[in-house]
Amino acid sequence: MGPDSAPGPAVPWQKVLWERQPFPDNYVDQRFLEELRRNEGVRQYRYWSVVKEAGFVGQQLSCVALFITLWLYMEQGLLSPEMLLLTSLVCALLGYGLHQVLTSQIEPGCEPRTRLADLQSAAIFLSFTFGFSPVLKTLTESVSTDTVYAMSAVMLLAHLVSFPYAQPSPPGSLSLNAALFASVCLASRLPGALHTFAMLSCALLVFALWPCLLQRLRENAPNQFTGVCVGMCIGGVGGLGTQSLGGAMLLAIALGSVTLLCPLLLVRLQRHKDNIHGPWDEAEIHEDLSRFLH
Amino acid sequence: MVLKIFFPQCCNRADSGLLVGRWISGHESAVVLAVIHYPFIPGQVKQYVQQMQTRSGVELSVLGSWSLPKEGQEGMESFLRDLSTIFPQKRWLQISRQMGKTGFICNVLNRDHDGESAQKVKRKKKHEDVKGDEGEEDKEEEEEEEKVIFIHYEQRKVMMSQLHPIENGLQDPKTDSPSELRQMFQTVAQSQPLFFMDKYDDGPLKSTHWQSEGREASIIVELLKQASVPLCLLVTWLLSLWTWICNIRIFSLYPFCFLSSKLSTCVQLSYRTEHMRTLSSPRPAAGHTQFMRKANIFVSFLVDVALGMLLISWLYRDNHISMLANTLVPAADHVAKQLEELLQWLMGAPAGLKMNRALDQVLGRFFLYHIHLWISYIHLMSPFIEGIFWYGGLSACLGLTFALSLLSDMVALLTFHIYCFYVYGARLYCLKIYGLSSLWRLFRGKKWNVLRQRVDSCSYDLDQLFIGTLLFTILLFLLPTTALYYLVFTLLRLVVVLFQGVLHLSVDFINSFPLFAVGLRVCRFYRLAEGVKFRVLCDEPGTALHLLMEINPLKVSTVVQTYRTPTYSCYPKDSWAALVKKLFVGELIYPWRHKTTKTD
Amino acid sequence: MGQRRRVANPPSQGVAGARTDCVRVSDRKHNICMVSDFFYPNMGGVESHIYQLSQCLIQKGHKVVIATHAYDRRKGVRYLTNGLKVYYLPLQVMYNQSTATTCFHSLPLLRCVFVRERITVVHAHSSFSAMAHDALFHAKTMGLNTVFTDHSLFGFADVSSVLTNKLLTVSLCDTNHIVCVSYTSKENTVLRATLNPEIVSVIPNAVDPTDFTPDPSQRQEDRITIVVISRLVYRKGIDLLGGIIPELCLKHPDLHFLIGGEGPKRIVLEEVREKYQLHDRVQLLGALEHKDVRGVLVQGHIFLNTSLTEAFCMAIVEGASCGLQVVSTRVGGIPEVLPEDLITLCEPTVRSLCAGLETVIAQQRSGSLPSPASIHARVKNLYTWKNVAERTEKVYDRVAGEEVLPLDRRLWRLRAHCGPVSGSIFAFVAVLDFLFLLLLQWLVPDRLMDDAVDATGPHRLWRQETIVKQTKSRSHSKGATSS
Repeated sequence: MGPDSAPGPAVPWQKVLWERQPFPDNYVDQRFLEELRRNEGVRQYRYWSVVKEAGFVGQQLSCVALFITLWLYMEQGLLSPEMLLLTSLVCALLGYGLHQVLTSQIEPGCEPRTRLADLQSAAIFLSFTFGFSPVLKTLTESVSTDTVYAMSAVMLLAHLVSFPYAQPSPPGSLSLNAALFASVCLASRLPGALHTFAMLSCALLVFALWPCLLQRLRENAPNQFTGVCVGMCIGGVGGLGTQSLGGAMLLAIALGSVTLLCPLLLVRLQRHKDNIHGPWDEAEIHEDLSRFLH
Repeated sequence: MVLKIFFPQCCNRADSGLLVGRWISGHESAVVLAVIHYPFIPGQVKQYVQQMQTRSGVELSVLGSWSLPKEGQEGMESFLRDLSTIFPQKRWLQISRQMGKTGFICNVLNRDHDGESAQKVKRKKKHEDVKGDEGEEDKEEEEEEEKVIFIHYEQRKVMMSQLHPIENGLQDPKTDSPSELRQMFQTVAQSQPLFFMDKYDDGPLKSTHWQSEGREASIIVELLKQASVPLCLLVTWLLSLWTWICNIRIFSLYPFCFLSSKLSTCVQLSYRTEHMRTLSSPRPAAGHTQFMRKANIFVSFLVDVALGMLLISWLYRDNHISMLANTLVPAADHVAKQLEELLQWLMGAPAGLKMNRALDQVLGRFFLYHIHLWISYIHLMSPFIEGIFWYGGLSACLGLTFALSLLSDMVALLTFHIYCFYVYGARLYCLKIYGLSSLWRLFRGKKWNVLRQRVDSCSYDLDQLFIGTLLFTILLFLLPTTALYYLVFTLLRLVVVLFQGVLHLSVDFINSFPLFAVGLRVCRFYRLAEGVKFRVLCDEPGTALHLLMEINPLKVSTVVQTYRTPTYSCYPKDSWAALVKKLFVGELIYPWRHKTTKTD
Repeated sequence: MGQRRRVANPPSQGVAGARTDCVRVSDRKHNICMVSDFFYPNMGGVESHIYQLSQCLIQKGHKVVIATHAYDRRKGVRYLTNGLKVYYLPLQVMYNQSTATTCFHSLPLLRCVFVRERITVVHAHSSFSAMAHDALFHAKTMGLNTVFTDHSLFGFADVSSVLTNKLLTVSLCDTNHIVCVSYTSKENTVLRATLNPEIVSVIPNAVDPTDFTPDPSQRQEDRITIVVISRLVYRKGIDLLGGIIPELCLKHPDLHFLIGGEGPKRIVLEEVREKYQLHDRVQLLGALEHKDVRGVLVQGHIFLNTSLTEAFCMAIVEGASCGLQVVSTRVGGIPEVLPEDLITLCEPTVRSLCAGLETVIAQQRSGSLPSPASIHARVKNLYTWKNVAERTEKVYDRVAGEEVLPLDRRLWRLRAHCGPVSGSIFAFVAVLDFLFLLLLQWLVPDRLMDDAVDATGPHRLWRQETIVKQTKSRSHSKGATSS
């Protein structure tokens, strides 16, 4: 260190603790906070792609609305259980065919479920539902209708909140269970055992199988997926509109805000993002360490 | 340093002589046990001390000299000092008392190095020059670092008392050497042979110490001891016969084994057998605890039989037994009727609760049928009930505890239907709770990992989820119905268990209450000591500090805790919280394993 | 946000910071109260810091008392070595040994301690400790000078850290001085609490070098042993360790691992050990007591630290003090702790750590590493408690000369510094606290409260002879009351 005429210590400050430096403990150097970085690795969103993704949420919302519409029809006797069963069967067969087509198109490898297994599952569903439907019918007899409605509403809400929108193919346990619980509650209010059976089969179709098909569609045919979503939304609003106009309006507003308004807000608010990073951040482990274990 | 001298009160006015006692090693203290009077021959004293030492196992020694000058007896000073050369000791105490004064004067001579002691004497002389007239005081002040405290104790009480360890002091067993006070108590207790020498004995030595008042009572004790030997033998023979019967193979088969472990009469029988075996063992009790245990068992046995006799005298007078038997059958009928009404109420809409109608009907009918079965059984039994009572009452001559145990067993048998209801209800409820808890995990997409004892997340198949949710819903809606039945029958069961619990508790109380120890505590409180307290006797500025040591008796609660005979109720019990948890989960509760239902 | 930006570009005052206005050797003695939830019987970095610092301050003639919450049956007042008085206050523990806070309920107890002990400086430790923040708050209400030591680093990304940072802002905005253990920690604290960096001092932790001396004879020369001593939790990078072990053990058959510590991630290491059948080469020692640590350290050649975040890593100093070559992740304040030739810094990835370890292993085999004794000689004077105490003393001297904000200016500062919403809320809380204090002072006036007997400090009564006298009289009373 050469002779420096400037007042103060001639030695430059170092960011080390192991050396005694001629500075007071509360010294603040020029280099203070020089390692501060902002907004590292922030994603840029585009409006329409976000809207497309939000479409999935909207269609799930209208799925629930559709299911409620069907139940209303059933309860008022406007729809016979045989009719519903028949429609469900047709829809299931069509959907299954589509699913098979979409699956065989892309993934020939990775151990597909055999047809036998699918048949087995279907048999289990139908037999259990059919067997239990008389029990289910009497289950909520002594519980008051308001309680049942409230319970169903809470459960359907839980279904919507906990639905795994990013990866719906193996259905999330909580969301599926909540939806099934709600449908059992609602179905037990219907006049006959066959009604209950029909309603439950329908619930299975809407809440368990439809998201799987939709996921395939999203992966393999994105354009058609958008169309299907829009269709579902319109169908949901229209269906509810035949029963209750106010409900339909509410649903339409909800769909609009979820699919159009929220993405807009997300994109707009990105500008204000201010995230700071520095050496104090906890390091993240990016590697897949589970390979050492399994 | 402070030197503590434990001095017996009985030697306060003894004639001059030699102090016999013991230095407590590791502590600055000495225990004086006796005073040997003049005149004596030093050799004989040494021999006597040696003899006593071998007999008592205490390191006895001559501690120093004691002088209580009578009128006209002066000038012992030099003689006493010379004595210390005859009995070579590390330290030599010269204790003297002057007529008319309460305080003692103590002079300590160290015999380690001749030079040192010479020096001390010199310094003492200097003091004398300065304050000539206060002749006594200077001895106290000659060595500032060696103050003396006299602690007076009552030899008889200390000898007979048993010092108990401190309640919550865990350190006692850990520390190798017992505390100073404990050593002092031990010393006095062990040197009993020293006190056998009587005032009137014509030995070569005369001594002063505590003396027993007489030996007449001990003759009766000896006679009783002699008489008890054949009695013990008889009891032992009977016991061996009984044990042989018990050990026959047929009794160790499963149903007998199970029954005998559950019937409180059998349990009581086995306890009594054990007690008698302890009592009749020919070996004398070793140690204080063993002795107290035997005495306690013996006294509680006597009290038990006496109470039993009282009961018998009441039962078999005025035909009380048939009266009891005649009230039993109507009472059972009444209970059954009440139960039926209760079930009818449950099958409706009890307390406005919303029950599942179908399940409610099924359960109600099942229990009604059960009551019907039970009533027919009671009516079938009714002719024999009086006989059972008559013979059962005889068991009271073995003691009140047997009668109570028998009563408890009979109550258990008579309320078997309530037990059955309870078990059905509890099993059903338990099954539901377990099913619901595991299905609730499935509902949330979790599962119980048995290997790691924790809840893991798990991805279920679609069909598993579907069936699980169906079952969950069904169980959830049926839960209130089952829970209500369970609740009602659990309350009934708790009433029975509470009654049995009270019976068991009283039996247990009689079995385990240390009557002898409590009596001893009341009549001879110094026998069971917890500690000591000191009272200042005289604290004149000139003389040494005099303290009186009094024995603190053990607290009665501690007596009970220490000396109670171990029975099954001494085992660690379930807490109330655990009981409530068990009731909530639907595990079965029993009076014989879970003492918590008792009111204790 | 605005405030943060303001701090992020500090005014160029390098020279102003260097202003050495200190009363160099001040004879002023302080009455210090250390407050933290974390103290013995809990064991850890904060606990030992408080204890060692207090001991050194006592030796310098200050009066020190410690206030913490009751641990199970340990409550009331206890005395530790040299008359260090510890108040175990009966406050409810909520989570992870930290007390629950309501901002008010601890005031009566803490006021009692502060008044009775005639405290002049309240020194709170650890931002995780609710009791420390409570004490700061009450001390400011009572007009006492306050110092705070931050021992940990925090991120800014998630919701919980946003909330805790806000609380820290409120808690520190009118605290007189803040102490951090490393420069990184200082930057972090300044950002989190939007502080003026002038009032933040950096005083590193210390290690007692006499406890950690090398002993090469304990090493087994037929193998290379890597020692890891840390709690087995995620933040210490145990998952990385689980990746390093199989990678290196497959390459070097003479490599052994000695792992001390306990925690939820132990299962990861156990699974790795089972899967690769390394039972004879990877030893899991479980939780170690402080006195056993040295015995484990001296058995190794290399000390490995895989932490993901660390304000000041005492473990690597201990390892280096025992003469081990240190390999560590480059996170937090670790690069500041040891000179470059004593430590090999790697990125927090398995590959980088393996590469670093391989280099050191190669050096070890070729014998080009410095000897344990020379490493120890270099490390032993770097961080001493005496030095820490001297520097902390300077902070106290400086703080004692500052004024504590009166209520009106304190409220103004809270409003101005912590934003309109939370500032107003906490200003309101501060007013309530002040009223509560007035009520307490009305109920029991300060002048009626007894002064505690000083065990430490200028008027201390705790001396060697008093100890002897006390024990003697105690043994007497014991003999008198019981057997």
